[in-house]
Amino acid sequence: MIDRLVDLAENRYFRLFLVGLVVLSFQTTILNDMRPFGVCLQIMLLLAASSGLARGSETGAAAGFMIGLMYDMVLTTPMGVGAAVFAAVGYLAGYAHRFVHEPNWWSQMVLAAGASAVGTILMPIALTVVGVEGVLTFRVIGIAFVVALFNAAFSLPFERICRWALSEPRVVR
Amino acid sequence: MAGNTFTRRRIILLLVLSSIMLVTLDLRGSGSVNGLRSVFGTVFRPVESVTRVVVRPVENAWHGITNYNDVVEENRRLKDLVAYGEGAKIGAVASVREAQELLALNGLPSLAGINSCSAQVVGQSPSNFAQTVEINRGSECGIRVGMPVLNAAGLIGKVTDVFDGRAVVMLLTDPGYSLAVKVVNTPPTTTTVPGAPVITVDQSTTTSTTTTTTIPKTTTTAGIPGFTPGSTLAPTVTNPSQSTSPNATVVAPTGTGDINKPGSANQSEITVPAGANLPLRETGALEGRGISKAPIIRFVENQPRFGEVNVGSPVISAGGASSLAPPDIVIGTVSRVIKRSGTLGPLLEVKISANLDALNFIRVLLYQPSTEKVNAP
Repeated sequence: MIDRLVDLAENRYFRLFLVGLVVLSFQTTILNDMRPFGVCLQIMLLLAASSGLARGSETGAAAGFMIGLMYDMVLTTPMGVGAAVFAAVGYLAGYAHRFVHEPNWWSQMVLAAGASAVGTILMPIALTVVGVEGVLTFRVIGIAFVVALFNAAFSLPFERICRWALSEPRVVR
Repeated sequence: MAGNTFTRRRIILLLVLSSIMLVTLDLRGSGSVNGLRSVFGTVFRPVESVTRVVVRPVENAWHGITNYNDVVEENRRLKDLVAYGEGAKIGAVASVREAQELLALNGLPSLAGINSCSAQVVGQSPSNFAQTVEINRGSECGIRVGMPVLNAAGLIGKVTDVFDGRAVVMLLTDPGYSLAVKVVNTPPTTTTVPGAPVITVDQSTTTSTTTTTTIPKTTTTAGIPGFTPGSTLAPTVTNPSQSTSPNATVVAPTGTGDINKPGSANQSEITVPAGANLPLRETGALEGRGISKAPIIRFVENQPRFGEVNVGSPVISAGGASSLAPPDIVIGTVSRVIKRSGTLGPLLEVKISANLDALNFIRVLLYQPSTEKVNAP
């Protein structure tokens, strides 16, 4: 029983879930209240993109799906939409990262910004597909720009956190 | 391990199918999805509460930096409003009480007969695309999905999700919100001096088309535009065929004489029943349009009797068996009238009475419309 609990605690996706809980609490409190230029910053989206940047496209997609699902739990939008969009963002970030010859800090910032912008635009498109009206407006472009800018600024610490959370458990304890 | 056999395509396919399944389940109103949300809420709320306490100083500092001037300005404005409101309050309370007594006397439903549950707004949606707020009362208070939510200024939205100890309220501005409303169009009023003759001279004609008016002495109840209790004598136009100008004013007679005799004026014996000049009402559908746009009202008909909708006309809930809210809840005022060609009625933009950016204490009316009631299997 204890071994199973230890195994669970060492599971990288469980660690990411715990990190996601903390990040989500920041998303629903301070970032919900502080809205620069009237835009709610999306650090859950940044977490999904950083997962892809840290561990590649496949892990990024799975991690993005989990992070998006957690975000869906606190939103009133249809469940699964955020999961699909965040999975795409995680995959995209990891896939784009492959093409960078020598990754450095600014290339990560650029990729995080790009993936965040794509995710911000994909979200209202996905919501429109499932029947939510009135969300796909030109305002989305402005929101995507602001979100991308701020996510680029915070991308480096988030990439470190995701690299730690999604690291493989040690073989020898 | 079996997990290692998954190729990239299979992983992506699995994620896509999972998303589609979740969306389908949620859109079909599956109880399992709500249960999942509830369980996650139980795990997440303590973490959120701790974070809220930790980040509060940062939030306060942020608001202190960004909103200081606005707060000072708003404080001045509110002081003026309080001074203005104090005087109107006494008369309003008496009027509301009288109205409720009248409704009760006639066996009509009123808001006073509906129980309510007070709550406080504890957070808003962290999304850029949904206009919802979360309140700190839920199913334990009797709140159910679909119940209307008000604050002191008027209607703010409806309950969309209910959990134990919390509920989610969709605001009026959300694109998914729609409600049957009434627009109260105040009929054009004329300023009159009881007893004094009003002489209107048509400047464009030299013939004797001048008409004279005597307004009978009436008592007007102040505060309700267009409403005059008691019967009033109908004004009579003297020989309208002789009036050569469209600017001629409708007048009431002064003397006595034969009403059918051209050129003479008389006081009509027709008595208009009380309230004949009550404000006219027309129903429509209020729809939210997102955070940056004012809600609009559609389906208001172009009726000659209703006339043109005036900016500033009050908008209240229409009520009805299938409506989301009981009748006569204040929503706001018409802020803009967008005319449309043909028989299409105008589109009306609405300025909501409640300030949705600064919601604090709210009241959930424990009124569940028939459309939102869950039928037992």
